[in-house]
Formats: sequence, C-alpha cells, structure tokens
Amino acid sequence: MKSFTIAWKDLHIRLKDRKGFLMMILMPLILTAILGTALSGVMGGEEKLPLTIVGVVVQDQDELATTFVDDVLKSKDMQEFIKVRTVPSEKKAKDWLKKEKIDAGVVIPVKWSGHLKDGQLKDLTLLTDPGKSLQASIVESITTSFTDKVVTMAVSSKVVMEQLASSTPVLTGKLDMRKAAAEIAGQLQEQMKAATNSVSETPIGKRSVSSSQYYAAAMAAMFLLYNITTGAKSLLNERATETLARLLSTPTGRMQIVFGKFLGTFYFAVIQFTIFTLTTHFAFQVDWGKNLMQVAVIGLVYSFTVAGLSMLIAALIREEKTADVIGGIGIQIFAILGGSMLPLSVFPDLMQKAANITPNKWVLTSFIDIMSGTTWNTLLLPVTVLLTIGIISLSIGTVKFKLR
Amino acid sequence: MVKRITFSVQKGESFGLLGPNGAGKSTTISMICGLLPFDAGEIEVAGKSVKKDPMSTKKKIGVVPQDIALYPTMSAKDNLVFWGKMYGLTSAQANKRAAEVLEYVGLKDRAKEKIETFSGGMKRRINIGAALMHKPELLIMDEPTVGIDPQSRNHILETVKKLNQEGMTVIYTSHYMEEVEYLCERIGIVDHGQMIALGTKQELCNRLAGGTVISLQLNEIESEFITFVKELSFVEQVVSKDNTIEIFVTHTNLAIGEIVGKAVTSGLQVQAVHVQEPNLESLFLQLTGRSLRD
Repeated sequence: MKSFTIAWKDLHIRLKDRKGFLMMILMPLILTAILGTALSGVMGGEEKLPLTIVGVVVQDQDELATTFVDDVLKSKDMQEFIKVRTVPSEKKAKDWLKKEKIDAGVVIPVKWSGHLKDGQLKDLTLLTDPGKSLQASIVESITTSFTDKVVTMAVSSKVVMEQLASSTPVLTGKLDMRKAAAEIAGQLQEQMKAATNSVSETPIGKRSVSSSQYYAAAMAAMFLLYNITTGAKSLLNERATETLARLLSTPTGRMQIVFGKFLGTFYFAVIQFTIFTLTTHFAFQVDWGKNLMQVAVIGLVYSFTVAGLSMLIAALIREEKTADVIGGIGIQIFAILGGSMLPLSVFPDLMQKAANITPNKWVLTSFIDIMSGTTWNTLLLPVTVLLTIGIISLSIGTVKFKLR
Repeated sequence: MVKRITFSVQKGESFGLLGPNGAGKSTTISMICGLLPFDAGEIEVAGKSVKKDPMSTKKKIGVVPQDIALYPTMSAKDNLVFWGKMYGLTSAQANKRAAEVLEYVGLKDRAKEKIETFSGGMKRRINIGAALMHKPELLIMDEPTVGIDPQSRNHILETVKKLNQEGMTVIYTSHYMEEVEYLCERIGIVDHGQMIALGTKQELCNRLAGGTVISLQLNEIESEFITFVKELSFVEQVVSKDNTIEIFVTHTNLAIGEIVGKAVTSGLQVQAVHVQEPNLESLFLQLTGRSLRD
C-alpha cells in the first residue's frame, strides 16, 4: 500500500514538472510530426493521389468501352481519386480541358474492340493539360494498364482456343468446344475485372508502414527510454536530499520504498505512452494497427522494462549528474542502434544483430508488426525479452541500491 | 562512530544532546531511529527493541532531520499528507491531521503553496510538522534551527516547548547551548562519540570547578604570563587559544584585578575582558579544552 503512496507521489511530482512534461510528452510528438512529414517522400507515406476529373468520349456502344468506363474508371477502387464525366465529342473534351472543367480526357475510338480477336486494339486518344502532369500520368497509367491486360488476355485466349480446338477430347467429341470456350472466356473476364489498378504504399524494410507510423513507433520507443534516467535520478535525488532517510525512519520497509519508486516510473511511462499514442492517432492520424490490445500490452511491457532499468541505473551510479550523462549519450546510442533514428533495414547486418541488445529495437519492431497486422505468437519473443530485461534489472537494482 | 553512550529518557521528559559538529549526536539519533545499525549494546523505545522490532519503534518516533527532508515542488499540505500516510494514516486521517499541524506550526494560510517558495524558517516548520503527523510518543529533533532567522528560531523553540508541555517526550540535539538550556530538563554532552557529561543543568554546572570564566584577549600571549596565572590560588584551570586566555576562577573580583594588573605590568595590551557566569559552554570548555562552536 505504501508503495502505491510513494508511486502516486512521484507521479504527481513528475506530472507537475513543466520541463519534464515538455521533454517527455511534447518533444516526441513534435519530432514525430516533423520526421513523419519530412521523410514521407523518402520512406513512402499515406499521402493521397489528387482527385482527377476524367472526361470520357465514347463514340459508339462498344462492349469493351462500356467495361472500361463502368468497371474500371467508375470502380470503387478508383472512386477516391477518379471522377468520370461523359463528354459528347472530342472537340468538346478539348474545350472542357481548356476551361479546366476536366483534368484529362480519354477519347475511345469507334469499334474500339473491333480487331481484338486478332490481338489488336485501336489506340485511345489521351487529352492532357501540360500544367497537370500528375493527373495526366495517373490517367495514362490506368488506360495503358487496362489496354495491356485486354490485349494480353485476348492473345492468351486465342492461343488457348486454338490449342483446345486441335486437342483430342474436342476432336473425339468428349469435350464440348462451345461450352469450354464460354467457360474460358468467362474466367478471363473475371480476371480482367479483378485485376484493376490499386494504390499500394511503399514498404519500409520488409513491412508496409508509412513514415508517420514508423516515426510514431520510433519516438515512442526512444522517449520512453528517458524514463530510465528520470526514474534513476528520482531515487538518487531522494537519497541526496535526505527524504530517503526520512522515508526509512517511517515504518516502511526498504522493499516497499524501492518498489514504490519503480512503480512511480512505471506509472509515468504508461501515461506518457498513452498520451503519445492517443495524440498521434487523433491529431496526426497515425494508424497503430487493428489490434489495440496488442499495442497496449507492448506499451505496458515496455514501461515495465524502462522502470526496471531505472532501478538498475540507480543502483549502479551515485550521482544524479552521471544519470544525466547516461541520458544524454547512452539513450542516443540506444536510439540510433535500435532504429529510432533511421530504419534498421538501412544498417549493415552486424549492426542489425547488435540492435538486439536495445529494448527499443524490440518494442519498435513489435509496433511495426502490429501496425502491419500480426499474431500474438509473433509478439511472444519481444514480450519475453522485454519482460526478462525488466525483471533482471529490477531485481539487481533492488538488491544493490544503497539507501545511504 | 559512537561508543559507550548510555542514557535514558523518561516519558514526557525533554532531553538535550549537546555537542560540537561531528561529536556523534546525529549518529546517535540515527541509531535510535533505526537508520544506522549498531554492533553492540541495546536501544529501546517504549520498551521495544530497535534492533528486534524496528517497525514497532518507528511508529512511536517522529524524526525531524537536520536537513529539510521535504519535496520542494509539492505543497506544504501535500507534503504533510504524504508523510502522514507513510506513518500509516489513512487518506482522510492524513488530511485532517495536516490541517491541525499546519495550524500548529502557524502556516495554515500557506497550505497550498509549494515548499520551494517558502523561506528557510517556514521550511523548517513544515519539516517539524511532518514529524508530528502521526502524533508520535517520542519526537527526535536533530539541530532543527540550523541556518534560520531569529524569528523562526523562536517560533520553533516555542513549538517544541509547547509539545513537551503537552506530554510529548523530546530528544533535542544542538550545538547551541542556549537552546538546550531553554528546552531541556536533562542534558547529555557528547564529544568524539562519547558521552562526557550527563545530568540536569544545575548538576552539570555544579561540576564546574571554578564556576566563573574570565576571558582575556591580549595582543600576544607569553608563557611566563600563563605560568603566573596558573599559580594563582583562586585559578582552577587555564585554556589558551590564539590570543585569548580562558581562566576558570573561584573569586571573580579578586582574579580580575590580579590578572589584568599582571598583564599590564608585563607590557601586554589588554584588548578585552569578558566575565562569563557558569554555564554548559564553560563546562564543555573545561572538559574538552574546546568551545562548542569549534
């Protein structure tokens, strides 16, 4: 019970410390915002494609033209960034493009699919605005992708049909050629509809997360490390200012005092992590993944680890100044080595292996896994490693810390 | 290190431990409070052994440490509530008691202000208040007036006096003789880790051979002059340091005339003469050859 009183007192002191608040809460948020935005181009990102209004000129009731307009340009996947406007003529389309009523135009020729059975397709006419090169390339990419697929499938089906027609089952009448051709045509059509264009994010390392997601996880991992020094300093400060001696003169056991100090650091780390994740999610739209329980468990386990490490550091050093040095240099080394500054994938193999000694590496990779979608089994190893570090540190710290 | 220190304090008594810095007062207190181990002897508080049952004895003791052992960024009230809880009070009990203690130490109006905004004297008062939260049977105060203004010092002395009059047992350590003389019924004088005198103020002063001390400040001290003074029949002891001679005498008026006259005829310049009535300071001087403030 008294441990909780000590922990609550420590939490109260830290939450009211403006300098500490800036350092532990605001700084990681600011850095996440800066790094996430600045490196979004380098590391991929979640920025959306601009909305493109495409003027489509359909000059006859060609079946392929209808498929292209209805199943590709107007598909659900495209709705987010493509809006289709039907234009009566090419001349009108050019006029609308000039007046910026549309961003690009597609003129589908008469009998577009007329020679498709021969594996040939008439060329589409693409009308673009030189000032809107991005929109132009989007439309060009979609149309090229579609026409390439259509031609490939036409040629494929032609070859398949020819092979089929000369095959023994058809020649001996065991297979109905018409029925087989209809089935193949149906399957090809399904393939074509399914294989529409989609927008995918650039992967970082082996995983697909945005820069904002990566740096949110990285900053959380790094700034929670600072609890090691603040926790250690808090205990050393109690010893230096004689409040520890006073605590010992009360009917409170040594273990209760040390555990209370550990718990105070743990509380603050949990609060710091909670504020950070909520703020990055709601203010910066960082997606921490679908499984919030996994995020919470990793956050709690990591808070336990840093609180345990703070007890170990307090036991190993005597002066608060030394803790500051550890905070200034040691944590920066851990941050770099553990991937909080740059993605681990850019490091040589040796450094990637060395990163395993840093707790922030384990928590960072766990968060990235969670963001990408992962199982509890995958998280078992990092949780075990982090808990082991925390328990060993807390045990050594409790035994070795000199009260006077 | 302390050795062979033996004393007992009765319930409701006010006991003073007097001695210069480094004499062993704080060490003695730390052992009573269970903060320092001791390798021989026994300490009991209210019949319980400090060594065998430290938690039980700690509940009965309120300690006022020499340093301000408070949390500077917390308010006066929050500090008191915290220390109350550490002595086992519930949240409600601690809050109620904190209000009473704040009134007692005269800082009720500053309850919500942070300790770091307080003057040295005010901090000392809260430092005492924290030790009173659980209404201890024994209040141990380790030099509680170090480095504060006279007004706060008086307030603290009056508070301690009042607490003792209300029945609280007090052990008060100081190197200020006048504080111990004012507050304590019995006094133990400690030096180099040993108890060199113990008794009431009167008993201690009675031990002085040559109760009055004549302090003579000269331009220089000659060994011939000191020999002359020592051989005078009414002189019990002579202690010299720098250009000052402290002379313990039995007949004050006779001694002043004789000693000052000899100094003048010896060609020495008498720069100051001070006569001090028998007190603990002179007893300490006689016992150790040093001043309490050395």
